[in-house]
Amino acid sequence: MRFKGKPIECKMELPSKIKNNEKSIQQGFSPSGNGDLISTRKFRALMVDNDPICQIIEKAILESQGVETQFVGSGIDALNLLATGASFDIIVIAWVLPMMNGVETTRQIRAMGIRCKLLAIIACFDERKKHEFLDVGVDEFIEKPLNPKKVASIMREMKNG
Amino acid sequence: MDRNKQHRQVALMRQSLFDQGLLDEQFVQLEELQDDANPNFVEEVVTLFYRDSARLILNIDQALDKSPLDFAKLDSYMHQFKGSASSIGAKKVKSECTLFREYCKAGNGEGCKRTFQQLKKEYALLRKKLESYFQLARQVGPVETACRRI
Repeated sequence: MRFKGKPIECKMELPSKIKNNEKSIQQGFSPSGNGDLISTRKFRALMVDNDPICQIIEKAILESQGVETQFVGSGIDALNLLATGASFDIIVIAWVLPMMNGVETTRQIRAMGIRCKLLAIIACFDERKKHEFLDVGVDEFIEKPLNPKKVASIMREMKNG
Repeated sequence: MDRNKQHRQVALMRQSLFDQGLLDEQFVQLEELQDDANPNFVEEVVTLFYRDSARLILNIDQALDKSPLDFAKLDSYMHQFKGSASSIGAKKVKSECTLFREYCKAGNGEGCKRTFQQLKKEYALLRKKLESYFQLARQVGPVETACRRI
């Protein structure tokens, strides 16, 4: 295992006695008492943004929060990917996209029956664009740049939800 | 110059970029993404920004030469440019982008041209200062402990 690029050793100790279910769950072990670990699922994000600088930064921010991130540069690519059955916990969509803008992309994603969290991200805040996005089904609308604190708060909300 | 003095010089240079309003908190967020696996992440991103945004600057320059001005196109270019400028924490450049877009909305061509000249100055100034900062930081090497002050 590596943390921040450096290899680290992982040592797991099985508890000799587990007093109650809550304690074992807090320690990350199954309450059955067999020492099995409860898996902590990694969140998966799809970023739809054709700006190369934003792609790099947004990916780094999401991955720093432990989110597996996939990138596409257009709405069409996003729809094609989703049509293959790829599933995500969160989709982040920029407004400016080639051929089909973020609003239309969102509308079509929702029309596919995809109900995961959808976050619209835009370089310049605009009340009209915000309403356009909300009307087609985004859950949240934020102004660039994507912020690690904002990502952490969304992840927390999703974990608790 | 001893190592401590060199580190202090780097720290002062960095701090001046914030004090002069050239950078904002987003730059700090990028620095916090750096680690041993990606020690030059910020410099690489900034380099890529200047390389990629040169194309947008040219597009805007050419669009401003046309008559009549296509404000929708100008606004679209600037929208993109603002997105990446804000992503690297380029505070003054971002402000000029906002002002430019206001002039676009108002259909004020002279305002757009004037603001774009100022934007290019801020863009060039930031580039020069960041290049000096990164060069010095590379020469001096990493510090043992991080000093974060805005």
